[in-house]
Amino acid sequence: MATDRITERRRIFKQYKEDVEERGKPFYPFAMFHDTVMSLVVVCVITGLAIVWKYSTPGDHIGTDPGWLGKLYDDPADPGTFSFVPRPDWYFYFLFYLLRIFKWPDTVVIGTVGLPTVLLVILIAVPFIDVRPERRLLRRPVAIVASILVVVSMGVLTYKGATAKESLGTELVAKVPDWAKTQGFSGNQQALGGAKLFAESGCLNCHTYLGLGGGFAGAPDLSAEGAKNKGIDFQIRHLENPAGVNPGSPMPSFQGLGTANLKKLATFLEASKGGK
Amino acid sequence: MATRRLTRKEQMQQAILYPVDWLEERSGLVGAVKYFLFRKVPGDTNWFQTLGSATLTAFIVQALTGTILAMYYKPDPTIDPRTKLPVAYESMQHITNDLWAGWLVRGMHRWGASVFIILMFMHMGRVFLFGAYKYPRELNWIIGVLLLAMGLGEGFTGYLLPWDQTSYWATVVGVNLNGTAPFLGPFLAQFLNGGTYINGDTLSRFYAIHMLMIPGAIAALIGLHLYLVIRLGVTSPPWSKEAAGTGPLDGRAPNGKVGRAGLSRFRRGR
Amino acid sequence: MTEPHDDHPHVPGPSLWPVGFAVGIVVLLVGVIISWWVAGLGALIALAFAFLWVRDLTAGTALAHAPEVAPETGGAAAAEEPAAAIHEEAEERYPRSKFLELSTLGLGGVIGGIVTAPAIGFMVAPAFLKQGQKDHDLGPISDFPEGKYVIATYMADKSQGEVSRRTAFVRYNGQLKGQPSFTIISNHCAHLGCPVQANGPLDEKNTKTFGDVTLIPTVSIAGFGCPCHGGQYNTEGNRIAGPPVRALDRYAFSIRNGRLFIGKPFSVSHVDGAGSSAVIHKWTFSFPGEHVNGLESWLYPIQPPH
Repeated sequence: MATDRITERRRIFKQYKEDVEERGKPFYPFAMFHDTVMSLVVVCVITGLAIVWKYSTPGDHIGTDPGWLGKLYDDPADPGTFSFVPRPDWYFYFLFYLLRIFKWPDTVVIGTVGLPTVLLVILIAVPFIDVRPERRLLRRPVAIVASILVVVSMGVLTYKGATAKESLGTELVAKVPDWAKTQGFSGNQQALGGAKLFAESGCLNCHTYLGLGGGFAGAPDLSAEGAKNKGIDFQIRHLENPAGVNPGSPMPSFQGLGTANLKKLATFLEASKGGK
Repeated sequence: MATRRLTRKEQMQQAILYPVDWLEERSGLVGAVKYFLFRKVPGDTNWFQTLGSATLTAFIVQALTGTILAMYYKPDPTIDPRTKLPVAYESMQHITNDLWAGWLVRGMHRWGASVFIILMFMHMGRVFLFGAYKYPRELNWIIGVLLLAMGLGEGFTGYLLPWDQTSYWATVVGVNLNGTAPFLGPFLAQFLNGGTYINGDTLSRFYAIHMLMIPGAIAALIGLHLYLVIRLGVTSPPWSKEAAGTGPLDGRAPNGKVGRAGLSRFRRGR
Repeated sequence: MTEPHDDHPHVPGPSLWPVGFAVGIVVLLVGVIISWWVAGLGALIALAFAFLWVRDLTAGTALAHAPEVAPETGGAAAAEEPAAAIHEEAEERYPRSKFLELSTLGLGGVIGGIVTAPAIGFMVAPAFLKQGQKDHDLGPISDFPEGKYVIATYMADKSQGEVSRRTAFVRYNGQLKGQPSFTIISNHCAHLGCPVQANGPLDEKNTKTFGDVTLIPTVSIAGFGCPCHGGQYNTEGNRIAGPPVRALDRYAFSIRNGRLFIGKPFSVSHVDGAGSSAVIHKWTFSFPGEHVNGLESWLYPIQPPH
């Protein structure tokens, strides 16, 4: 059986060589023309992107403000920072999002090295898995399904990695006046203090609020928490002991903030009616 | 031994071609280039099959812009006492903001990396869908996958070089990702870092890997990849009616289909 | 290329006499500069070898060795034989060629080893040798209010500069059996190393700076959170939510003359209790993402020297 396959392959390849000799065209200029046009497109795209990157940066086109294609550069590296959220380059977003899928501690190694290594090995082994000489697409259903699955899953993972939200305490505090305006508690000092605490205390690491935040661990969106009218006392009790009020909740206790701060937070939550 | 005098045109041609002939007699290179340029390829090759050479173009752009950037970039994470900024970061700012066309070369290098990776994936997809990884081109496919892995490695090591916050912390996470590999993971992570943590030597390390080790390997593998393409030939698109490998055209009906008598030869595909 | 002729000019056989003569001349010339005794020695050597050389030359037409003829008559035929047959022929005619083959490969291996071994060692070894750091002074104990966390950043190795900056969350727990007790937690997340944030407001007005150390007190915090993938830790560093595989790493510390010195980090699987009476389950320092106990810790049996 195997030798039949080998003989057949060699025959087909020999036929290929003969056909090319007989009715092939010289590489130059026929195929090389196509290659040259495509290469020109590539070079123009690269140069165009470089120009847009620079000239869409606001102001003098230098500095750390992002333009249409992102920042020219960030602040200098600070190994002692405690307020920065790292992101890889966009072509690693699918791996980055894979890490968020494998979020149980025991499964971490699958997302970091397990799955990528297995996929790489399968990729290398493709010519040894598919040994049929058939090249016509309509007669290769496995190939079609596999390629569609790969393209769609990598596309979805990359997109979700790109839009994944994180929360950064220092940036969030600047948002407090906007929140106050949207929710309508600008005049309420307790609520304003609570909003600032909300931004600083890492709540948005898990919860989401008015479009910001991490959205992890099943933490609900709090933009309209006040509309549920649970009352300030309930909010304080919940913040002091979330698992006691809501059994099974992974939320940690915030009683370390102190009663005065908890009251401000509770006022803020009750004042968050969902905005206009 | 000419038995008649050469015409003026022929004399001029000979004079112009003299250096070429000189080179050919002493090296054989001209013949090699002619073979490459004028070799036969199937007449029905498709625009999709330009993705490979497009990827090569992107790599050449990267190599050129990268080498030139290396003339101005300084891989030194220590703080410059005059400006209180890391020297590497400063040199990157200098390139982007001050030097003539520095922003353009740096931008081309940075976006060229993304284009290179996209093109590699598209080329890989095209080869897969054309079935051009099958006999006798399996080795070429394996070389291609290695090239993909090394291209991603270039992206990872190059990302640290601007030495800004994103660079540093994305690299911390990336190295720790490698560290979670079983058994050898911790050693790999420590080798990449150059120590337990990112330290003063890490940037030079990543620079050497990014500038010398991986590009050297990529260049060698590209050479091998191209040699195999020239030796084994380019496939016809699988849907082509006159695909190379299906035998002579004269036995066929005008619609390209083959008569029953010859069918058995083609039953198992091209 | 000329064909081999029978009447080719007489070529003397191989001999070491000319070499010896040359050595003698060199010694003579050097001796003229250094010392007359050396010059005399050189002259003797030169004379001796010159005598032998001349005697050799005038010994009549010397019979050429068989090996000298063979390459010329065998050369034309060898061009048509495949390389393997030449090789075999060579082996028969030159019994030493086997030895030469082996020694070429062997010497080549030695050369390769001499060049690459130190180079590869240099590439790999410095990452694993001389790791660890010296203790660093973080200031008097009075700078650390009891029961509250202070965010301390310092340079672990001043000779490396800013690149060695680290951050730790430091809390003074009061006295334990007459000694000051501190909880010092690393700010590298135990999932993949992102910088962990303190969940609570900071008292930035009371920031203290001396040398490369900065101390920022917190007002009160409810724990630590990592923005990258949602890891959450309580105030003892235990993981309570998210993908981190163990508790946050801690630092060893020492007290000298009433000042706090921060030392080497170690990994922690979990902490029982809180404050000065906490029981810390301590493990060798490991990179983030590596389990230190349980079944998955068998994936990481050996840690490199940290």
